[in-house]
Amino acid sequence: MALIRFDAFDPLSNLLALQQELERFIRNPAFNLGPSGYGAYPPINIFEDREGTVIISEIPGLDPSKLEISGAGRTVTIHGERKREEVNATGYHRRERPFGEFSRSIQLPNDLDMAQATAKYENGVLTLKIPKVEAARPRQITVNAAS
Amino acid sequence: MMPEQEIVTKEKQQVQGTESTRPGRYYVPDVDICEYPDKLMLWADMPGVSEKNVEVMLKDSTLTLTGTVSPETYNNLSPVYTEYNVGNYFRQFALNEDIDESRIQARMRNGVLEVELPKREHAKPRKIEVRTA
Repeated sequence: MALIRFDAFDPLSNLLALQQELERFIRNPAFNLGPSGYGAYPPINIFEDREGTVIISEIPGLDPSKLEISGAGRTVTIHGERKREEVNATGYHRRERPFGEFSRSIQLPNDLDMAQATAKYENGVLTLKIPKVEAARPRQITVNAAS
Repeated sequence: MMPEQEIVTKEKQQVQGTESTRPGRYYVPDVDICEYPDKLMLWADMPGVSEKNVEVMLKDSTLTLTGTVSPETYNNLSPVYTEYNVGNYFRQFALNEDIDESRIQARMRNGVLEVELPKREHAKPRKIEVRTA
C-alpha cells in the first residue's frame, strides 16, 4: 500500500494525485465495514498512518455540539443531526441538500485504543483519529551481539 | 411539513462541460435556494473549503461559486477504504431576479457557503392598495 506523499511545491498536481489514490480504494471490497456500508450517511473515508486509523467524513453544516461519537471495542458510531437554516421562505428554487438525523456504526479491523481517540470538526469535515493499542504498535527490536 | 426522510449519501457529481486548465476534478455542490420577498438565499455544501478558499462572483446575471480544497490534510495518510473523492467545487446559476450586486453578502460556516442576494428596490413585490371608488 503506497503512502501518499506530496511534493510541497506543487499543490495543483497534489490534488490530482490524491484523487487518484482515493479512487483506487473506492468501496474497497476487501474491507469489511460491518452494519452500515456505502450509501449510509455520512460518507466516510478510512485511512491508516503510523499511529493508527484515521476516519474522515464530510458532514457540512453541522452544529458541533450535536455531533456524538462513541466507540466500543472495534465499533465507532457517529451520530448527529443536520438542520435546515431557512425559515419562512416564500418559495424554493432548489432543495438538494440532505437533512435529518443520522447514525452510522463503522467496524474497524484492528484493535484500537478508543480511550485515546481524538475528533476534530473543521470546515464541515470530521476527522477522527484512533490510535492502535500499545501491543499492536510496531516496535524496534534491538539486536544484541553474541558475546 | 414534509415527513422527514431517512438521510442518505448521494454520489458526488463531477462538473460537466467546461474543462479547467488545472488538473483535478471539480464537483457540483448540493445547493438550496430559497426566495424571500426582499432577497434570495442560497446555501451550498462545500465540505473541506475554508472561508479563505471560496469565491462568489456575480457578473452579467451569472452567479459563480468556486471552492478549493487543500490536499495537505491527507499528507502521510494511506487510504484503506474510501466512499467519496475530494475535489474543488464549482457551480454557476443564471439569475432571473434583479439582484443588487453591491449588497450581496456571503459567509462560510462549517463547510456551508451562505449567500444572501438582496433584490433591487423595484424588483420587490409591492402591495397595491385597492380603494373603493
